[in-house]
Amino acid sequence: MRTTHRRWIRPLAVAAIAATAAAAGGCAQEPADGVTTLNFFQFKGEALEDFNEIIADFEAENPDIRVVQNQVADADTAIRTLLVKDRVPDVITLNANGNFGRLAQAGVFYDFSDEPVLDTINPAVQEILADLGTYGDEVNGLGYVNNANGIIYNQDIFDEQGLEVPETWDELIAVCDALMDAGIQPFYGTLADSWTAIPSWNALGAYPAQDGFFDKMREQGADVGPESEVSFEKDFAETMDRQYQLYSYMQEGYRGKTYDDGNAAFARGESAMLLQGIWATNPIKQVNPDIRMGIFPYPTDEPGESLLVSGVDVVFTLGKDNPKHDAAMRFIDYVFQPDVIERFAESQNMVPSVEGADLSDDPALQSVRPFFEDQRITGFIDHQIPPAVPLIPTDQQFLFDGDAEKALQTLDSEWAKVAARTIPVTGE
Amino acid sequence: MATLTEAVRSTPAGSARKRATRTRNDSSRAPATYYWMVWPAVIAFAAFHTLPVVVGIFFSFTNYAGYGAWNFVGLSNYLNLFRDDRVLQAYGFSFLFAIVATILTNAFSLAIALGLNAKIKARNFWRGVYFVPYILAILVIGYVFQFFFSNSLPKILSGIPLFRDNILTSETWAWTAIVALAVWQACAFAIIIYLSGLQTIPAELYEASSLDGASPWRQFRSITFPLIGAFFTINVVLSLKGFLQVFDPIVALTNGGPGTSTESVTLLIFRGGFSGGEFAYQTANAVIFFIVITVVSLFQFRVLQRREADF
Repeated sequence: MRTTHRRWIRPLAVAAIAATAAAAGGCAQEPADGVTTLNFFQFKGEALEDFNEIIADFEAENPDIRVVQNQVADADTAIRTLLVKDRVPDVITLNANGNFGRLAQAGVFYDFSDEPVLDTINPAVQEILADLGTYGDEVNGLGYVNNANGIIYNQDIFDEQGLEVPETWDELIAVCDALMDAGIQPFYGTLADSWTAIPSWNALGAYPAQDGFFDKMREQGADVGPESEVSFEKDFAETMDRQYQLYSYMQEGYRGKTYDDGNAAFARGESAMLLQGIWATNPIKQVNPDIRMGIFPYPTDEPGESLLVSGVDVVFTLGKDNPKHDAAMRFIDYVFQPDVIERFAESQNMVPSVEGADLSDDPALQSVRPFFEDQRITGFIDHQIPPAVPLIPTDQQFLFDGDAEKALQTLDSEWAKVAARTIPVTGE
Repeated sequence: MATLTEAVRSTPAGSARKRATRTRNDSSRAPATYYWMVWPAVIAFAAFHTLPVVVGIFFSFTNYAGYGAWNFVGLSNYLNLFRDDRVLQAYGFSFLFAIVATILTNAFSLAIALGLNAKIKARNFWRGVYFVPYILAILVIGYVFQFFFSNSLPKILSGIPLFRDNILTSETWAWTAIVALAVWQACAFAIIIYLSGLQTIPAELYEASSLDGASPWRQFRSITFPLIGAFFTINVVLSLKGFLQVFDPIVALTNGGPGTSTESVTLLIFRGGFSGGEFAYQTANAVIFFIVITVVSLFQFRVLQRREADF
């Protein structure tokens, strides 16, 4: 989730592409000693060490395969460039965002439908991947580890105040009011980083987006507007109201604070909750290693109907028609073994996709475990919105001025304009 | 005339060429050294500037996404631009910002330059101080200003609601904060140009006019300003051109927000083209913007040069 919002990484893309291209070129030829070299495209900087360990163990067990990890800075740009040049890496990991879906739709990835490893993966995770986009009804990626986007809460403060984790929207508001009465700040807002508005929008908007909302939006395309069957204006009014309501419980000056300010303030106990996902727990722990945190999903009206928004943080995939396919598939089968994925997920503080794999003892992870086990998870809706629609600025402005109608009209008209001017490529 | 040409042609080719070369060398052409100074720059300029521009114009007629396959789409990118209110809003913002910032920059820097040209104490020290903003990287300054607007000012001016709530988050007034930063930085260079202009004015003119009893204001109006007219023209044209292309101060202060209220044309091109995946569409926007800036600059030169005085 965060990786999509980093602005300063783009210039590094050139360097990354050059590095990857050099590496890909270097190991293209088949060596004579019977050892197959796999070029492993890896996007996640924080996972470099973990993958090095996995690769070392794998190579020890499989002496006929050598895996070369290429950790790239701006993976979305780098993979496009490699695909255009037909230099598809042998094994690919990507962040499963809207870009992954568009690449999958282009039919460049392998179809995993008949691979036995697919049966070990949580179907709800694969559902999230399928929603992003696939080529026909193929399965173009295997979800590896997942994040969780909910409300982070300070368990010590909740215990002291005798508060329970809210299961409905009214209970959540009651918790906020109780905290206010006790003189505790419910939330810490960080709108100086405009993207920090989006996690809560994604979570609240997941409910109206459930019944194929975005499929219908795509069908309508340029006709989206006040007259169309579905539109942001028609279906998202409650989402906006609720998000605005949450922001009424923010601290003074929340417009000028940044993401890092928010994590530090929450770590010091200045607020009881934070509207961020599991990715924020590591920076929070760096400030206060002893904090006890949990995560609960943004509730809806009925208890037990809450959905946890989850993104596939790492997805594994392969290129189509790769001559080294068998070796690549052996590597994938290895990384999806429960003990391997458990170790990786624990180190990365993520939820493993393989059914039966254990989560780490981290209380934040344990608190979201039931939602993965019961498959009550759903994807990030901003991955369904074309990047040319200015979603983040529009939502940030809405939180400043409270004009929900204007914000929703903007989203509808931008959606229609982007659909109207997107001219699909015909033929080669 | 015709016979002469024929006569020249009829002479052996070798001797004609020889004679022509000698004539050129003797009279009009500069020594080869100068060409060696010019050629590398011309080649580099063509390779890294002209060629990419031409390629960009080419892609503005396609639906290229920055990668993958593409088709020609004719003028539809250009037609869609005029139907896109976000684009029109960005042009409105850019022009409002550029005009206000140009006026303020030139007013302030002319006043400061007059002061720095007078016989004040520690004159060179002050000249140095006013040049410092030009040396500092705009992004660094930008983040200092951002901290100032979002953390310091709300505490210093806590009585004024606009500043207390962080002016950068005000849809109506955020642009004024960007103007403040841009003008503060742009003044440094404009002052230097005005100072060099002021030093070209002969002191006798002021002597003569003071003997005639001219007031300082009259001296400024009738001597100083007309005589630095060329420098005024250059400053106004360069500032307006520079401010129309404003990018860094916005990225540092508001990043186009709140909403899209401080989104300049360049920021929109960058965002829509690179993060938005609409490479060809925003390239068309860039082509239009290039034409707009060229027309505005030429228009300014024509109007302002007529007003310049010579001596």
